[in-house]
Amino acid sequence: MIDIKISKHLQGSLSNIEMNVELVIKEHDFVALTGQSGSGKTTLLRILAGLEEAVGTVTVDDELWLAPKKSLPPQQRGIGLVFQDYALFDNMSVEQNLLYANKDKALSRHLLEMTELTGLKERLPRTLSGGQKQRVSLCRALMRRPRLLLMDEPLSALDPQMRTKLQHDILTLHKEFGTTTIMVSHDPSEIYRLASRVIVLDHGKIVQDGSPKDVLLKTQGSQKFSLTGELLDIIKADVIHIAVVAIGQQIVEVVLDEAEAATFKIGERVQVSTKAFSPSLSRLAP
Amino acid sequence: MNHITATVTAIESMDDLTIVSFEAEGQTMRMMGLGLTLPIVVGSPVTLAAKASNIALAKDLKGELSTSNQLECVIESINNGQLLSSIKLRFGDALLESITTRTSALRMGLKAGDVVTTLIKASELSIIKVNG
Repeated sequence: MIDIKISKHLQGSLSNIEMNVELVIKEHDFVALTGQSGSGKTTLLRILAGLEEAVGTVTVDDELWLAPKKSLPPQQRGIGLVFQDYALFDNMSVEQNLLYANKDKALSRHLLEMTELTGLKERLPRTLSGGQKQRVSLCRALMRRPRLLLMDEPLSALDPQMRTKLQHDILTLHKEFGTTTIMVSHDPSEIYRLASRVIVLDHGKIVQDGSPKDVLLKTQGSQKFSLTGELLDIIKADVIHIAVVAIGQQIVEVVLDEAEAATFKIGERVQVSTKAFSPSLSRLAP
Repeated sequence: MNHITATVTAIESMDDLTIVSFEAEGQTMRMMGLGLTLPIVVGSPVTLAAKASNIALAKDLKGELSTSNQLECVIESINNGQLLSSIKLRFGDALLESITTRTSALRMGLKAGDVVTTLIKASELSIIKVNG
């Protein structure tokens, strides 16, 4: 169990933030940390890793990592770290990168096999693709069999296909190694697939904490199909009106009655919602 | 969007599915929904919503219909377009709107003052707000 009670003064680009986090994380849990940039996600991760100072306590089982006048050095904390930018040693082969963390050759063989990297073990990192590099980082992070695996947007630099592959690897390794994992992520599909708990930070405080479905599902009253977009246009058609709304990379149309149409302004942020019973799904052509 | 003020009279849940019953203007209404995430209990005052294009009308209705919500309304006004008709309906304090094809409105001979039954499927009715 990880018991976190910390506070820290953060200097933001626009205003200063008082970070205040009280959090208990169960062993073997997979927690996603999400929130706007500047909300304190990465800072929290770095405090847990011992890379940044904070006031308060961090207790992992009965080990004190942070307490008044005490901060256990990062290398003694039993953590594995994975960042977006891989942070591999460029002058070492894939295998040497792993063995640098821990000399256990059998474990390095096992990890490379699990992530289908065995054939690349002699290669230098710069000859690898982004996805391969990130798999090496993940393996290296697990070489010390960490109790706590900390990942900061590990897949955000990868293309969607590689993300899906690595999500699978992350989940397999999380289960096999029985680590407790905390991952910073902005991607709802990634969070839904991997995490059992989502914590949303805003201005250094926890504003939501729950299952991925409860936290991520946007609802409007009892309507479970709800998306946010920008109102581009309202076109009158006979006795009805058609609202044109941009949602992400797509444009959708919504029929409005006359009274409704009069209440909106072009350019407004709007929520498009309907009952979960109404939309249809169909497979996209490959 | 049509809004109707109602009171919750029953909540039935099973797995991730819920049927909520309401009383509105002395008539019974019913909504089907997925898992209930709203803070409602029997007696909660709510605002219900249904799109104008999801409201059908019937005149001199006989026989059985599967539609859960069959509300007696009085036509206040009709705006016939070239293809569609917008029909404003009085339901107690609420003014509802139904959008139908102009052909249907003419075939039914709808006119202001007519008593009609508005039909809303339980799957097309939403709770848009919990009041009070």
